[in-house]
Amino acid sequence: MASVTLSGVTKRYEDVTAVNEMNLEIDDGEFVTFVGPSGCGKSTTMETIAGLTLPTGGTIEIGGREVTDLPPKDRGISMVFQNIALFPHMDVYDNISFGLRLRKYEQEEVDRRVDEAADIVQLNEMMDQPDAFLMDEPLANLDAELKVHMRTQLQRLHRELDTTIVYVTHDQAQAMTMSDRIAVMNRGVLQQVAPPLECYNEPANRFVAGFIGSPAMNFLKGEVVDGGFESQYTDVDFDPAAHGVRPGRGVTAGVRPEDIYLERAAEEAESPTKPFDAVVDVIEPMGSEVFVYLLFDRDVETSAEGRGEGQLLINLDPDTEVTEGDDVRVVLDREKTHLFDRESGDAITHSLE
Amino acid sequence: MSDRPVADGGSTADGDPTVEMAEQAERDEPDLDRGVFEAWAAKAISNPNRAYRATFYVATIFFLVTTLFPFYWLFVIAMTPRNALSTTGVLTPGGTPRAAVDLPLIDAALSVPVGLGPINPGSFVDIFQTLPFHRYVFNSFLIATVATVAVLFVGSLAGYVFGRLDFRGRNPLLLLVLVTSFFPPAAFFIPLNRLFNANVDVLRPLISAGSLYNTPYAIFIPLSAIFLPLAIFILMTFYSQIPDGLEDAARVEGTTRIGALFRVIVPLSAPGVATAGVLTFISVYNEYFFSSLMTDGQPGNWAPMLEGTLRFQGEFEVLYNLMAASSIVAVLPVAILVVVAQEKIVSGLTTGAVKE
Repeated sequence: MASVTLSGVTKRYEDVTAVNEMNLEIDDGEFVTFVGPSGCGKSTTMETIAGLTLPTGGTIEIGGREVTDLPPKDRGISMVFQNIALFPHMDVYDNISFGLRLRKYEQEEVDRRVDEAADIVQLNEMMDQPDAFLMDEPLANLDAELKVHMRTQLQRLHRELDTTIVYVTHDQAQAMTMSDRIAVMNRGVLQQVAPPLECYNEPANRFVAGFIGSPAMNFLKGEVVDGGFESQYTDVDFDPAAHGVRPGRGVTAGVRPEDIYLERAAEEAESPTKPFDAVVDVIEPMGSEVFVYLLFDRDVETSAEGRGEGQLLINLDPDTEVTEGDDVRVVLDREKTHLFDRESGDAITHSLE
Repeated sequence: MSDRPVADGGSTADGDPTVEMAEQAERDEPDLDRGVFEAWAAKAISNPNRAYRATFYVATIFFLVTTLFPFYWLFVIAMTPRNALSTTGVLTPGGTPRAAVDLPLIDAALSVPVGLGPINPGSFVDIFQTLPFHRYVFNSFLIATVATVAVLFVGSLAGYVFGRLDFRGRNPLLLLVLVTSFFPPAAFFIPLNRLFNANVDVLRPLISAGSLYNTPYAIFIPLSAIFLPLAIFILMTFYSQIPDGLEDAARVEGTTRIGALFRVIVPLSAPGVATAGVLTFISVYNEYFFSSLMTDGQPGNWAPMLEGTLRFQGEFEVLYNLMAASSIVAVLPVAILVVVAQEKIVSGLTTGAVKE
């Protein structure tokens, strides 16, 4: 068991910077997940920790020992890979004991631990009692049901082993459910490192807000005016001075689907805005909830590329009665409305109250 | 056969209207008056698999005969006593002794074959007594084995680098390896022969004469170098197909890169390794040019099996039966090797061929 510290880790390929100036401290026994879209550098970061790739710059410490230039075998880590769990040319015993035999354990000790492993765990990477586990999308190839089951299983395992675990996934649901802290990455840059709910409720910038949470947050482009936020389709009253923004600044407002209510249920919102008109476009009943896609007016064009301007996704109670084509009036919860700078994407405030 | 098509054309031309002909064709044309071959051809047209099968058997038998007959002929000659060699036939290994029969009326005698001569399996013993032929075979076997091991080892390292690493200058370097394999080996011979004959003081403690001539190294070094490029290409193809994850897993579990190569990548590329190994072994074992010129031909001086066979050719007579027997004995190690490694070689050659 050990902490893992990355200081200024950079990995540059000929013309691409895969990881840029990564600084991160992972505490002893912590479960940290790197999450981000494909090609964001999360796997490369993992590989530099494992030693499979040498960073172009920066240092890596595991358990207070600098390991930047050590080969993988001397770093005291174990790693689980996405595709390959077993060596096809070996039998079960050889596979499980491979690492132990390489480390020249006594035969009896190997036998004992293989039996133990076969009894309890099913992963040979758990055998060496390493300082840290690295897991590179270990659940990516499992079917949906097993994936959910393994999520809980991994949390139990973490509790039992009490080991530092670094986990890489592009699935924000896995990141949310298992981690002590999530490290959100995009284009090689660390966006935010925080506990899951903090990433969800107080995203550091627009990227994190859009990436964490499913379905994703609604965004409205607009600008700050005297006494509030104004966009093409709706406006929200608030006091710009209280949040340190000046009128005229270009901003993007963000509201999660569950923080938008129909007017008749407006009292559920902690601080409802004034209602505005919308048209029901598509309804997706999920059983426990209903996702309703709204258009601000009937002229808004929808595209295949996702939710564009003028569209809004809201999350309703399953027994709410709406049908496609209905005219509805909805309110936002000001308390849960985020503002992001339109240029930099940085969060300005997480509540317009 | 030339008149058949005419008869055939006649029979269809003066036949019934076309509808009826079509019906007949559907009934496999049983009523038409045809020879055996034409009937077979007609059936083959309606059912092409018959033709394919026949072609397959013809081709197979052709290849079997052309490849196996030389061995059979060697065997026949080896079993023939030396004095009967001139009367040996394909089916008469012992030769056919002839007796002169006086013809009546004219003053002449006709030489008539009378029975079969004795066959002589003793050649297979004689080759070891006349010459230490086993020593020649051992020399060849040892040289080929050492060369194979060396080629596989160096070829594995090079194949790993070319197949799995991406580095500047990879393609030019690969091209250079390819180019060296295009040089005719004879071009190397004179400089190498002079080099190996030169006394090198550094080698004096290792090799008594101080030169490589008359040592196994004189054959194994140039031949390894000549067959290395092919091995590198075969191994490169196979190693590049092993998923990165396997190597990464092995390295995280405690091997070095080289450890991962020999513990994981090489075992998983067994067909490729077997192919490269067998090709190298056979090539070195059978090699003529360097084998015959890099030693003085004495068995104690590491002369290979080829020299042994040639030794049965004396100044005044050629012991063809012993040469044949020694050739068969010399083929045995390679034959055994190929049978053992056959499955792996076949899959190896095809895999290498399909994937680029």
